[in-house]
Amino acid sequence: MMKPEEILKLIAAARGTAICVPTMTTAPAWRKIAPDDLSVGCVGFMGGASALGMGLALGAPDRRVIVFDGDGSLLMQLGSLASIAGAAPRNLTHLLFKNGVYHTSGSQETPGGQGVDFAAMAKAAGYRATYTITTLGDFEKRLPGLLTEDGPILAQLLTGLAESTPMTAGPSTPFHQQVAELHAKVGGAR
Amino acid sequence: MPESVPSSLIIDAFKDIFQSERRGAPRQDPLGWIISVPDTHQKSVLAALDKERSLRVITCSTEDDANAVAAGLYITGEPVIVMIQHAGLYASVNTIRGISMDGKIPIFYMIGLLSREKDKDPKDSRHSMVRFAEPLLDVFSIPHARLEGPDDVRLIPEYYRKSRERKGPAAVLVGLETA
Repeated sequence: MMKPEEILKLIAAARGTAICVPTMTTAPAWRKIAPDDLSVGCVGFMGGASALGMGLALGAPDRRVIVFDGDGSLLMQLGSLASIAGAAPRNLTHLLFKNGVYHTSGSQETPGGQGVDFAAMAKAAGYRATYTITTLGDFEKRLPGLLTEDGPILAQLLTGLAESTPMTAGPSTPFHQQVAELHAKVGGAR
Repeated sequence: MPESVPSSLIIDAFKDIFQSERRGAPRQDPLGWIISVPDTHQKSVLAALDKERSLRVITCSTEDDANAVAAGLYITGEPVIVMIQHAGLYASVNTIRGISMDGKIPIFYMIGLLSREKDKDPKDSRHSMVRFAEPLLDVFSIPHARLEGPDDVRLIPEYYRKSRERKGPAAVLVGLETA
């Protein structure tokens, strides 16, 4: 199993000017690895990172948008796969950190657990490309393509648990402040 | 008595809002975004929007998606309006709270009151979907107004501006099916 933090470190080194949308257990780690104003974390609205990323990608077509989704989070708004496929933003990379549990609430198994194939679902919904990645080496090899190929792309990443969750990590920058900072950075000039 | 509002008036109001938002901006295409989960009550507007080349209409699977997509567009500086029905308002309450309210993101909603009786105030409706829409918005302190006839079209830019000024949600409820 890949460690989420190792994946995030590789992304941080390769993202360039991409906007990143972490959710739930990737959010605290991302704050430490890439404490910047080109990210907006999604915690507390039961999924939503995928659709937020879709809106960002449609509004900023010249930038790559990378969503760090969770399997539990995506299950809560699974219809977003079809919404994204329908709008077909070419600059959207949807990374699905799949650990098979609701880590934040106590690691209860998600419906279907590790058996749910989100890559197959995304492909069937109409994503341009989907991948399943099980090793860090394979992820590193594919990363340049994931950040440049026409989207929407979904990569299902089989991972272990993150070191911290939004419940165990310290306080984060309030959501509205993250929104305001990102808006000032990417929305102000329009 | 409330009257139905022609779709052309509503679309003209949308365009005026978007033109005002785009004034001086480098990006002009599309003029603005309509994020919709189809609403029976506003179907004539949605049908007419299909012919509007200057506006981009995105249909979402759920109102949760619609809220998040609208938020992403706002963050990038894009002008956006969300069209849903009252049942979609109920379905997406947590997302409105989490994204638009907690995120201080101005999102303007057009919400259809399907099944609203022409001869009754919504609070007296026999349909719970109609009866609870305005009280629910009140619970969340979301400013709202009702589109009850062609003269009320002015409320669309007014409540769009309200959402911007307060950095949060604001809504216009479509009282009768649009023409």
